[in-house]
Amino acid sequence: MSAYAALTGAGYRAQVRDKTTLFFTFAFPLLFLVVFGLIFRGQAVEESGLSYLSYTAAGVLSWGVANAAVFGIAFTLMQWRTDDILRLIRMSPAPLSAVIGSRYAIALVVGAVQSLLFVGVAMLPVFGLRPASGWPLLIPVLILGITTFLLLGVIIGSFADTPESVAAVANFLMLPMAFLSGSFFPLDSMPSWLQKVSLAMPLRYLNDAVSHALAGRGDSSDVWTGCAGLLVFALVFGAVAVKTFRWTRSS
Amino acid sequence: MPTTSAAAGGSPTAAVQVRGVSKRYGDRRAVDDVSLEIHRGEFFGLLGPNGAGKSTLIEIMEGLRRADTGTVAVFGESPWPRNTALLPRLGVQTQSSAFFVRQTAVEHLRTVAALYGAPRSAVDSTLESVGLSEQRRVQVENLSGGQRQRLAIASALVHGPELIFLDEPTAALDPQARRALWEVLRGLKAEGRTIVHTTHHLDEAEALCDRIAILVDGRIAVTDSPHNLVGASRAPSRLMLPLGRLDEERAAAIEGVERVTVEGGSLVLETHAAGRVLAAVDRIAGLDGVQTRTASLEDVYLDLTARLTGAGRSGHPNAETTEP
Repeated sequence: MSAYAALTGAGYRAQVRDKTTLFFTFAFPLLFLVVFGLIFRGQAVEESGLSYLSYTAAGVLSWGVANAAVFGIAFTLMQWRTDDILRLIRMSPAPLSAVIGSRYAIALVVGAVQSLLFVGVAMLPVFGLRPASGWPLLIPVLILGITTFLLLGVIIGSFADTPESVAAVANFLMLPMAFLSGSFFPLDSMPSWLQKVSLAMPLRYLNDAVSHALAGRGDSSDVWTGCAGLLVFALVFGAVAVKTFRWTRSS
Repeated sequence: MPTTSAAAGGSPTAAVQVRGVSKRYGDRRAVDDVSLEIHRGEFFGLLGPNGAGKSTLIEIMEGLRRADTGTVAVFGESPWPRNTALLPRLGVQTQSSAFFVRQTAVEHLRTVAALYGAPRSAVDSTLESVGLSEQRRVQVENLSGGQRQRLAIASALVHGPELIFLDEPTAALDPQARRALWEVLRGLKAEGRTIVHTTHHLDEAEALCDRIAILVDGRIAVTDSPHNLVGASRAPSRLMLPLGRLDEERAAAIEGVERVTVEGGSLVLETHAAGRVLAAVDRIAGLDGVQTRTASLEDVYLDLTARLTGAGRSGHPNAETTEP
């Protein structure tokens, strides 16, 4: 068995044996869907003519998937460093790519299950989401989004040494980003300078691409611009992640 | 001067060769110009008070830290930076917390074996050798302290390394498990493996190690076999008399007696002239029930570390050795 397969297996078992975390990982985005669905039921977003729900479903989905990718790996790396698991791996010949790769495989599975569950619930009559014709584009878009945010999580997991600091840093980045990228509220309702600020946020690109693929907002160029933006952020985060990775607390 | 690479080479009989290694943390010299050689097949003990620099020195040998100056060669190669060709030949006992979460003992060890590309069959035999076969299906979080420690040791052995670093391997074990582990370690040595062992259990070092080094304030105070160290000891012998046989003043008056104390139901006389004092005790009170204890490695260790960590650091010798 390769190091990659073994680490993926251990990660998978750890994930499914922790029922609480597993439940809330999947329930968290659904909670937002329900809350926003109840608040804005029947309302339409100005100008676009889309129902608010189909707008917000795309935003909440991209934020939920990105959030899970960031938190999942950041917590794992911090915990593995604290428990000296990373030191153990460091003293074996297994490459760093096996460590990150195994977490990547798990993050992709988590993202896939999250998305299926989320879209499935949003399509219930209560919420009434009707996926746009371009929905298969969601697959490459979400894979790219998970890649980008996983690499951001690697950086956070390398800096943070306690669960508290992982939560503080990740929330500090992800929550304001959700609002500024238009995950919860339409960007159109924000001042134009804030809309420009949002261009510096990776979540903006994921949002735009998911919005078109899932809800049919904008046009297909949103998907390609979104993917290009995510790719640029992935390369930047990847380079920083490799530079800042620490096997042990003291190194 | 940076740590040099394989060119540092060294003798073919050396498993580890450390030359002039120093490491500073800020103003503190954690390791101060240490040189030592650990031979292949040797059971080598590294002893010293907490904070003496043992962990830093070990981590430099393992390649986890870089020395500020000096060279380290492990099987003739530099362990720093991460040397993946060398790593499969090393086994490092982890902290007892370094387990993959929510795995059973056998799942954890299989994962570790896979990191090294070691065969699955090695997992069962390693669990067996540390006495964890019955706990193989127990989740690591539910193992007892001693069981966790044995699993940590198994994690260092599962890939059959040639050089094994053990850090306090018996600290959490009960006496039976401790003796059982000694047998495992002796078996590893008999197979020709090299073992570097740090411990505070001096009896363990005396029982297992071919040679020991005592590290004090970042420097090697002495390197020798336990036998030679004890033989050359300046620590006094102790004569233990049943209480009431002899009063303390008379005992203190015997020529050659340096100190008289009462410990654990015995009157204890400390002396460097055991023969003369025994003869005197025989004349005064008889030798029935009298026990003698010569210096143990622990006495040698306590004496040495007390002298070197005490007053006048500046004057302490770099490497006092009893070797000829």
